Amino acid sequence: MRKHKGLKSAALAIAAFALIASACGSDDATEEVAEEEEVTEETTAPLPGAGTLACMVTDTGGVDDKGFNQISYAGMLQAESELGVTIDLLESASDADYAPNLQSFADKGCNITVTVGFLLGDATKAAAEANAGLSYAIVDYAYDPAIANARGLVFATDQPSFMAGYLSAAMSKTGIVGTYGGINIPPVTIFMEGFRKGVEYYNTQKGATVKLLGWDGKDGTFAGNFDSLDDGKNIAKSQADEGADIIFPVAGPVGLGSAQYALESGGKVRIIGVDVDMSVSNPDAAAVYIASVLKKIDAAVFAAIKDVVEGSGVTDNYVGTLANGGVGVAFTAVPDALKAEVEAIGAGIADGSIKI
Amino acid sequence: MHEMKFELRGITKRFPGVVANDNVNLSVETGEVLALIGENGAGKSTLMNVLYGLYRADEGELLIDGQATQFSSPADAIAAGIGMVHQHFMLVPVMTVAENVVLGVEPTGRFGSLDIDEARRMVREVSDRYHLELDPDAIIEDLSVGVRQRVEIVKVLMRDAKIVVFDEPTAVLTPSEILEFFGIVRSLVEAGRGVIFITHKLKEALEIADRINVLRRGKVVGEALPKNTSEAAIAEMMVGRPVLLVVDKAPATPREAMLTLAGVSVVDPDGRTVVDGASFEVRVGEIVCVAGVQGNGQTELVEAIAGLRRVASGSISLGGKNITGDSPRERHAAGMAHIPEDRQRQGLVTELSITENLVLTRYHDAEFSQGIRMKWDAAAAKSQELVAAYDIRTTDPSQLASTLSGGNQQKVIVARELSRNIRVVVAAQPTRGIDVGSIEYVHAQIVKERDAGRAVLVVSTELDEVMSLADRVLVMYRGKIVADVDPKKVSHMDIGLYMAGSRPAAVVA
Amino acid sequence: MNETLKSLRFTLLAVVAALFVSAFIIVITDIEALGDGNLGKAFGTVGRAYWGLFKGSFGSLRAISNTITGATPLLLAGLAVSAAFKAGLFNIGATGQMLAGAVTGLFVGFAFQLPPIIHVPFALLASAAGGAAFGAIPGVLKARTGAHEVITTIMLNGIASFTVLWLLKTQLFKREGRDDAISKFVEDSAKLPKLFGFMGNRIDLLAHTGFIVGLLATFAFWWLLRKTTLGFEMQATGFNQEAARYAGMRTKSLMVTSMAIAGAFAGLAGGSEVLGLYGYASATVAGDIGFDAIAVALLGRSTPIGTLVSALLFGALQAGGRQMQVDTDVPIDLIIVLRALIVMFIAAPLLVKAMFRMRGEATSFGQTFRGWGG
Repeated sequence: MRKHKGLKSAALAIAAFALIASACGSDDATEEVAEEEEVTEETTAPLPGAGTLACMVTDTGGVDDKGFNQISYAGMLQAESELGVTIDLLESASDADYAPNLQSFADKGCNITVTVGFLLGDATKAAAEANAGLSYAIVDYAYDPAIANARGLVFATDQPSFMAGYLSAAMSKTGIVGTYGGINIPPVTIFMEGFRKGVEYYNTQKGATVKLLGWDGKDGTFAGNFDSLDDGKNIAKSQADEGADIIFPVAGPVGLGSAQYALESGGKVRIIGVDVDMSVSNPDAAAVYIASVLKKIDAAVFAAIKDVVEGSGVTDNYVGTLANGGVGVAFTAVPDALKAEVEAIGAGIADGSIKI
Repeated sequence: MHEMKFELRGITKRFPGVVANDNVNLSVETGEVLALIGENGAGKSTLMNVLYGLYRADEGELLIDGQATQFSSPADAIAAGIGMVHQHFMLVPVMTVAENVVLGVEPTGRFGSLDIDEARRMVREVSDRYHLELDPDAIIEDLSVGVRQRVEIVKVLMRDAKIVVFDEPTAVLTPSEILEFFGIVRSLVEAGRGVIFITHKLKEALEIADRINVLRRGKVVGEALPKNTSEAAIAEMMVGRPVLLVVDKAPATPREAMLTLAGVSVVDPDGRTVVDGASFEVRVGEIVCVAGVQGNGQTELVEAIAGLRRVASGSISLGGKNITGDSPRERHAAGMAHIPEDRQRQGLVTELSITENLVLTRYHDAEFSQGIRMKWDAAAAKSQELVAAYDIRTTDPSQLASTLSGGNQQKVIVARELSRNIRVVVAAQPTRGIDVGSIEYVHAQIVKERDAGRAVLVVSTELDEVMSLADRVLVMYRGKIVADVDPKKVSHMDIGLYMAGSRPAAVVA
Repeated sequence: MNETLKSLRFTLLAVVAALFVSAFIIVITDIEALGDGNLGKAFGTVGRAYWGLFKGSFGSLRAISNTITGATPLLLAGLAVSAAFKAGLFNIGATGQMLAGAVTGLFVGFAFQLPPIIHVPFALLASAAGGAAFGAIPGVLKARTGAHEVITTIMLNGIASFTVLWLLKTQLFKREGRDDAISKFVEDSAKLPKLFGFMGNRIDLLAHTGFIVGLLATFAFWWLLRKTTLGFEMQATGFNQEAARYAGMRTKSLMVTSMAIAGAFAGLAGGSEVLGLYGYASATVAGDIGFDAIAVALLGRSTPIGTLVSALLFGALQAGGRQMQVDTDVPIDLIIVLRALIVMFIAAPLLVKAMFRMRGEATSFGQTFRGWGG
């Protein structure tokens, strides 16, 4: 008999477990609760997006990457609160997860699925083609030719970076500024190239000779990753050793290491933030930021969801520019006169009078 | 010291498929030595674990001074005044004697700091009272096995044990250490403590015990008083049939030399010469025994012969062929059987089946494999055959070797090694730690091999075994062969003197 | 009771125990429901979460396909750990061996133009060889210098991942138009056919014939252990190296051979991912599989069938976890907790015995952990 004692208790455990699960919350009961909630929501605030399901698949960075996944998700949250859409999220642990994650959301009937990062480009395309009735939007990737139900969300980040380059050149006391990237890929180097041209523009306009470290238009300094704060610290230190007093890191959290270094330098080195207003998002080192180059992914994500809610579709690719407010510059510690000068350049880029 | 009586009444402990203890009754009082004797697998260890709180009996009760009690852990047993000296010591090698002794019951000074002076004083006091001659500041790893055992004894005494249980205490001791140990046991008893002495050695039980309880197949099958019993009588109780305690053999008729060592030296990794110029030969049809106190180079000598240890200088030849540089497998092929000293560490892979162990040194023979493919059917058939021929007690040879008793494990090794096509048998400590019945069997097998025309070399630290088995005795002391004698012409005492590094008076003269 | 059956039952109990503890974790982390004092809803979440877990792993052909896709590399890498365990070696280096096999398989995959019937086996063979060569290194180091394989395999993982990162950026491997560490695609002729390819071109069925490779490898491992002298020698060495040496086995060369065999399995894991799932290689192609494989081997007690079953279990958890998250918002991270709990319950048999009141049944884990002894 002893032999079966363990088995019996195992069976009992399973049975008890099943009882708890079924008795306390059958599917019907939960649905009722859910329905009730929806009813209360509808009576208080009937929002246009109710009934729309907006989903997001991250790349392997995960939703709390302090980078584009997180910013994209901010757009999702905004859509949830302002449009009343229901949102859902799947994080990808590896490349192998992209297709199954997209498939799961297609099965769930997500009206729009936002994917983050050009690594998901192929998988998103495949999903869009297989599910013509659903909409897709992908951050940092554009389809050429365009796909009817998949919108690429790309950003002319060279434009605000150009402004930041001009600004940095104007504010540098040493006449040397620096930049560096996380990995040598187009979404990163576009910032660095804009920055370089901004510095160049300042030099031709003012007859100055401000020098740029870390990017020569073809190659430059890269941390090789997007997460090592130590690397950010070391690169900032070596650029400061070469005389740079303003540095523009295009490397996600690596840049936080540079900000840390700038803080320790006691004002000798200052930083241009990237993607978001870093004087806000990184309050510990707020003092080191002069300005930030904004890439408003959240706004683009929100707009894509809004288009789906309003039924206007996601046919065309979206390019965030200074003209449409998809990119911009946040000024933190810039003298008013210079700020006006840089804003004028921005206006010039927006209306096409200044060509990058 | 208070008097105490400790009793086990009707203890029954069952394991799946086995009744390890079957209605066992025994009692011991302070001031006496009770020997608990039985073959391996008779239930001694289980009983000991029951009385020390490691197992709970399925039936029966423990009584202290007539009061029923229960031990749910060794801590309870210790609190009740039961102490245990395990066969395998539980000491921290890098710590001093004093530190080890107080481990777990550290005397503390102010602010909870360890009062090591107090610990030293306590060790010295206990050591003096029982003549243990322990230096509290000695580091454990520098001490001999016998001294380490005394440290364990002090540990038990410092926890105020009234009844001290010794589990096979002499298995690791040299003959002289055994004598010292008996002295300690006597002084414990004189000081009013009680001793339970668990052993399988008849002589020792007879020598030290006031009473002897014999355990067989989980039952107490008899009680005897040493003064009116004999070895043979107890052995019969243990095994359940009359046992031959002396080796029955005809005089040897040695022929040509088979195994020859010429000036063999072995240097250990620390650079010490552990075998120092050993030269001897073992002839066909004779049993040569190497006697000596454990640790005088016998282990290394055997390993050098078997090819497991590199020879620094000298040569070994088998049947006239130099095998000094040959691998173990080449030596097997040349006809060497090796029954190793430590059957669990070397002789067997206890996690593999009996069958697998029976082919461990010959699986590559054409009989058992073809290319890379094993012929397990052939191995299983061979295994059935050997299990029957060598009286290995198992119901199923596909069971793990670890399920066998020590004696039967040794039979597996003996069967495997002796059933091959061999010319020389090298057996190290062939009967260490096995039961009386198996000893008798192994000895008979060794003699049979001799009579079948093999050269036999036996290394043993058991002087009785050497004297009864050998046709010729070599004594090893500090790596050197110091004597080559005929056992019929010398006494136990003489060999004992050689083993201790001196010479018998008769020889000196 | 039969030893295999006993350990199977024990594993099952560990899984049940882990599911049980995870259920409590789901409940206590269901803050919304707890805040409302709505315990029923919280327990309902548990039910729906586990239903999602089941649905997503076995509930449909696609779910089964996802389970198989997840299980394939875990099985092959798990065999790599198991094979080493059997020989008494603790192979933490499956990650590095996977990467080595991924790169060699990738190279054969894109550098040659061959008919599929030749190309696929050739590329797989290259993967196995790459993994074996890389796996043999710690074996050689241990045999020659005594360097412990736990240390060397961990170090070699780092060397492998940075070497691959560099290789993928060289002209030879680099994909046209990409500057990040991502390789060219392998030729179509080198791609492992989809497992459910016979059902038409359904892109959602990702499972590929790498799983068949895994099953064959499992069988090969079983055959090696049970039917060959080499397997016998490996096991004898693994259990008791001293005795193996006594028996005349060349234990040092066995270390190298065993690690090479382990490496070959892991190399196939890397190769089947590249040739079957991705069609290319990136620096992260091995992911955490090499480490998860240790848990797989542990759970499977290093036996061929055990490794297969636990790889399928882990694959199912991975596939089902996605569905669970989609259905209930219980994050997929719970799967990590669940897996950790299973391994913990396996490693702490006393705990499970206490939970299910099993007494006096010793369950041996000796061999699995022996590798640490060196």
